[in-house]
Amino acid sequence: MHIDARTLPNGSVLEADLCIVGAGAAGISMALEWIGSRHKVLLLEGGGFEYEPAMQDLYRGEIVGLPYYPLQAARLHYFGGTTGHWAGFCSTLDPIDFEKREWVPHSGWPIRREELDPFYVRAQPLLELGPYEYAAADWQRRDPTLVPLPLDPRVVWTKMWQFSPPTRFGSRYRDPVVAAPNVHLYTHANVCELEANDSVTSIQGLRVRTLDGKEHRARAQYYVLACCSIQNARLLLASNRRTPAGLGNEHDLVGRFFMEHIEMPGGQLALAPDAADPKMYGMEFGVTKARGELALNGAVQRERRILNGTVSLEAAAPGEEAKSNFQWATPELLAAFREWEAHGRAGPPPAGLPEPPPPGSRLFHLLARQEQAPNPDSRVLLGTERDALDMPRAKLDWRLTQLDWRSFHVFYEVLGRELGRSGAGRVQLLDWVRREDGTWPSTLSGGWHHLGTTRMHENPRFGVVDATCRVHGLGNLYVAGASVYPTGGAVNPTLTLVALSLRLSDHLKRTLA
Amino acid sequence: MNRRQFLGLSATSALFAGLTGSACGAGTHAAFDLDALARPDLLSILGPDVVRAIGLHYRRLVPGENQVPALHGAILATRPWPSRVPWPVGPSIADMVHDDFAAGRTIVVQGWVLSVTEARQSALFSLLSA
Repeated sequence: MHIDARTLPNGSVLEADLCIVGAGAAGISMALEWIGSRHKVLLLEGGGFEYEPAMQDLYRGEIVGLPYYPLQAARLHYFGGTTGHWAGFCSTLDPIDFEKREWVPHSGWPIRREELDPFYVRAQPLLELGPYEYAAADWQRRDPTLVPLPLDPRVVWTKMWQFSPPTRFGSRYRDPVVAAPNVHLYTHANVCELEANDSVTSIQGLRVRTLDGKEHRARAQYYVLACCSIQNARLLLASNRRTPAGLGNEHDLVGRFFMEHIEMPGGQLALAPDAADPKMYGMEFGVTKARGELALNGAVQRERRILNGTVSLEAAAPGEEAKSNFQWATPELLAAFREWEAHGRAGPPPAGLPEPPPPGSRLFHLLARQEQAPNPDSRVLLGTERDALDMPRAKLDWRLTQLDWRSFHVFYEVLGRELGRSGAGRVQLLDWVRREDGTWPSTLSGGWHHLGTTRMHENPRFGVVDATCRVHGLGNLYVAGASVYPTGGAVNPTLTLVALSLRLSDHLKRTLA
Repeated sequence: MNRRQFLGLSATSALFAGLTGSACGAGTHAAFDLDALARPDLLSILGPDVVRAIGLHYRRLVPGENQVPALHGAILATRPWPSRVPWPVGPSIADMVHDDFAAGRTIVVQGWVLSVTEARQSALFSLLSA
C-alpha cells in the first residue's frame, strides 16, 4: 500500500507494529521480509519514486577535513535510495575483518563472519546475484578460461566479486511493496525527529514533515533507522529535545568513526607476455557476473600490521593516466548516467564513462580498495545551516590516519614484490606512492561508501548499537545499514548491509512474536 | 661503452668483484655471459625504451655501479653459490631475479618495483645497447 504523505491531512497519525525509516537497500530488504506477516509495517521514505532536486537538496551538507564528494550527489533520496545509481559490486567481508586486531585501534565486531553467512546466502537473490560462491576455484570450475594469476595465496590471493545487474531497488521492488496490504509505504515523508519518552529509554514517536509544510506523527512498537550512515547519525544527533547531545549519544559516539574505502589508483601492472589471460580480473558493466581482485592475505596484514585491501585490474592504454572515483565520476556524469538508465539505456552512454577494456591489453591500472581504520575523529556532525525542513544540515569531517597511509604503501610494495616473484609482471608505483612524506595526493578518493557512524559494540561506552543493532539505552530503536559497521573491510558494503538487515528482521520477528 | 671496450675490461671486472678463478669464467656459462646479462627478461615485459630508461636511472641512483665492470661484478657477487661450485649447477639469472623478489631484495626505479639483479641488468642494457 502506498500513500504520498503530502496528500494526508496535516497532523495525521500513522501507527504500526514496526516503523522503518528510509527505503533504500536496507529498508526495502527489511520491508520485503514482512510482506504477508500479521504485523503492520510503516515504511517511511523522504523522497518519492523519482529523483527530485528539492528532495536531494536535503542531503546537502558541509565538508570539513579532507576533501570529499558533494554529499547531495553521493546518496540518492528517493524510493530505492542509492541503489538508483550503484554499480552492483558485491563481495563478503573476510573473517579477519570481524576480528579484534591489536594493531587496528577500535577494531572487532561483536559477531563473527560465520554468524553472517546464512544471511549472506539470503541476501544474494535480493541483489539478483549468482550462487553464494566467492572462491576463485568455484568460478574457474564454471568457466575454465578464468585463470587466476600464479600468486602465492599466503601473500596475495584472488578474491571474487559478484555483480548485481545492478538491482535498482526502487524499480525492482516497488510493485511488491506497494501491493503488500500490511506494508504501508509513505513517500515524501521525511522524519525530522525521534521523540523519546521522559526517561529516554524508548522512542514514543516520530515527527514527519513534508516539503509543503505538513507535519505528521508516526508511532510503532519498534523503529528502525535505515537512512544511510550520514543521515542516521544526523537524525540521532538532531533528536536532542530531551538530551542535548542527541539520542543514543550518551558516550559521544554518534557520528564518530565515519569510514570510507580508500579507492584510488596506486600503480600499474605490466603483465608478462607468458602470463595467463587476465580474463578472470576483467569486468564489463552489465555483462560480467563475477571477477577477481588481488587481495592481501590476513597473515600479511598481521605481519606487517596493516589494514585489509584489494586491488582491481583495469585495462589501460599506454601513457593513460589513471583517475580516481571522485575524478572521473563527476556529479554531472552520474546524473547523465541516471537519465540514460531511466530511458532504458537507449542511445549511446554518456561521454565520460569508463571505456571497455581494449582487447589483449597487457597494461593495467591497479585501483586500490582499502579499508579505512576506525577513527573517532573522522565524523559526522550537525552544521549550523538548516535545510528546508528546518533540520540542521550534516557536516562531514572525513579524516584518515597514518595507519591508512602506511597500509596503502605497504600493500603496493607487497603487490610489487609478489607479482614480480611470481613472474606475472612488474608493478610501477605512482609518484605519490613512492614518496615517504605521509601525505595523500589531491586525487584522494573514496568509493562513496559511508560506514560506521553508529558502530556496533556490546559495550555502550564503545558502540552506539549492540550486536542485535539495537541502540544502547533505547529499548525499541534499531539501526540498519552500513552505519553499524565497526570496521569496513575492503569490500563494497551493500551485500553485507542487506545481510545485516535480514538478520535484524529475523530478530525483530522473534521480538514481536 | 660498446662490446669491444667491455671485453677489454672484463678482467678488471672480475677483479673488481673480488671473484676468483671459476667466477672469472662467467663467460663459460651461457646464462652469465654478457649478452645474457645485458638482455634482462624485463625487456619482454616493458620493452627496450623503458628498460633503457630504468637502466639510466639506476646508474644515477647507484653511482658506484655506473660502469659495466661494476655492474657485471655486482651481479656475479650476489650469486648465492660459492665459487667452487661448478657454474652449470648454479642458479640462472631468472632464478636470481625470482629469489631477489622472494627475499625482498628489490629496488624502486622510476616507480618500477624491480629485483636488484634485473635493475643492474637494465643498467647494463643501457650501457651496452646504446
